[in-house]
Amino acid sequence: MSLPRKQKKEPADLAFWQERHGVICSRKGGWVVGEAVYSHGYSLLDELVGKASFFQVLILNVTGRLVERNVADWLENIFVCLSWPDARIWCNQIGSLGGTMRTSPVAAVCSGVLAADSPMYGAAPLLAASQFIADALLKKNNGMTVSEIVKLQQRRPGMPPNIVGYARPVATGDERIPAMKQVSKQLGYTPGEHLTLAFEIEEYLLEYFNESMNIGGYVAGFLSDQKFNPQEIYRMCSMVVNSGVHACYVESMDNPPESFFPLRCDDIDYQGPRPRQVPFP
Amino acid sequence: MKFASRTVTKIWEEVPAAHNPFLADRCRCHGYDLAELAKKRNFVDVLYLLFRGELPSPAQAQMLETLMICLINPGPRHPATRAAMNAGVGKTNAVHILPIALSVLGGAHLGGEEVEAGIRFIRRHQHAEAAVVAKKLLASRENSEGDCHIAPGFGSRFGEIDPVPQQMAALLYELSGRGKALQWGRDFAHSLIKEGMGWLATGVAASVFCDLGFLPQAGAGLFQLFCAPGLLAHGLELASPYTSITAMPFLDEEHYVIAQEAKKRTC
Repeated sequence: MSLPRKQKKEPADLAFWQERHGVICSRKGGWVVGEAVYSHGYSLLDELVGKASFFQVLILNVTGRLVERNVADWLENIFVCLSWPDARIWCNQIGSLGGTMRTSPVAAVCSGVLAADSPMYGAAPLLAASQFIADALLKKNNGMTVSEIVKLQQRRPGMPPNIVGYARPVATGDERIPAMKQVSKQLGYTPGEHLTLAFEIEEYLLEYFNESMNIGGYVAGFLSDQKFNPQEIYRMCSMVVNSGVHACYVESMDNPPESFFPLRCDDIDYQGPRPRQVPFP
Repeated sequence: MKFASRTVTKIWEEVPAAHNPFLADRCRCHGYDLAELAKKRNFVDVLYLLFRGELPSPAQAQMLETLMICLINPGPRHPATRAAMNAGVGKTNAVHILPIALSVLGGAHLGGEEVEAGIRFIRRHQHAEAAVVAKKLLASRENSEGDCHIAPGFGSRFGEIDPVPQQMAALLYELSGRGKALQWGRDFAHSLIKEGMGWLATGVAASVFCDLGFLPQAGAGLFQLFCAPGLLAHGLELASPYTSITAMPFLDEEHYVIAQEAKKRTC
């Protein structure tokens, strides 16, 4: 009896990895010592500093496109709009808790920003909201009605649809939208096809489910009209809550340690097992 | 929306001190006094208790402890460890090293998110024949550059089967506490060999977490926790005041290649 020959192992194709080994290749830019710091075809220090706004450069670094100043100003106003110095809001309270425990401002603010990477609020819903409105517009252009688009988001007939960009966890309505509508008007914008559809959907939801658009839905619609894709919108708004977290951090940092909203033992409602003896293994 | 008047927990009870309700006199974890746990049980037992609500059997504790040792250090080439090392060598405040590295280890590629997805994947498919699931997934595979993770926790690394996770899985498989998820994962990984794929560390962790009854979200964080010692050790090694910022490579211009289109406007 002869055993089958042991197959010779083929060497792996490592070309993909070898090409990248020991080298960083960038299409974004970088620093050429003694020459320039390049960003997407611009010299940062010669062409952008003093000429472009921070938000123009942020959008440039995210998307590779240097947009008109009014687009950047609009985005800056969204950051202003979400700069609530209210320590009850989850991400902001993390800033307060960092301050009261004497973390650095960077640690506290990064932690608060990270907390707002939540499907419930902050930057993350912008991804889903932008994907929804882009998809909804495709459906509308293919002949679907608003009612049919909404019905696709219902788990069961009659149940409120689950659409990111509509409804809020704490309040009904969204006072930030009128403020941003005013900004849009001042900057010379009129609603494009995404935002127009977003309002049509809101009208339907208000009539049948008493639910209205939230700021995420408005931002998604507006920025989609400016030709940004969902990932770009999410990325450029990553830090959108940072200013409010800063405020809350600073206030608790400037007060005695652990004095921010201290809890007594009975503030926690323990509902676990009764006391029991630990068995030996 | 109605919010709770008090935060509820089933995990931890703090018995207030008689003279000061802001201080706890004693603490209980799922009903067990912490001091008594410290006297009678080891760390892994209490860790399991914290997340599962009951103390583990010896076989479960052995599975968990073995996994913890397997995951203790992703190694100095892992991007999360390199993040820790970059922080260390840059003399970042030492308290930031771990959060920085753990954020990188939270990703959907070889990180916490993949472990979470891996647990969901195994839960969803472990009642089907592994080879059939593998065949179906391989048939619908799309060609893309780099590695392929045919399912969360399973795939190739640098173009081949990564040997260490296979060794981890084999080691865990020999233990008496192994369960159906590890068995299923083993069959699934076996079905991928011809395609140059197998277990990834995230898949090994996911299958053990599944067998030990941890929820998917817990798996993501526990994976970060178990890898944390290695990340911190490597970060601290370079954070030493006796180590200079030159202790890691900083690429020269020959090795940092900027595409022409990124420079074109001023060239």
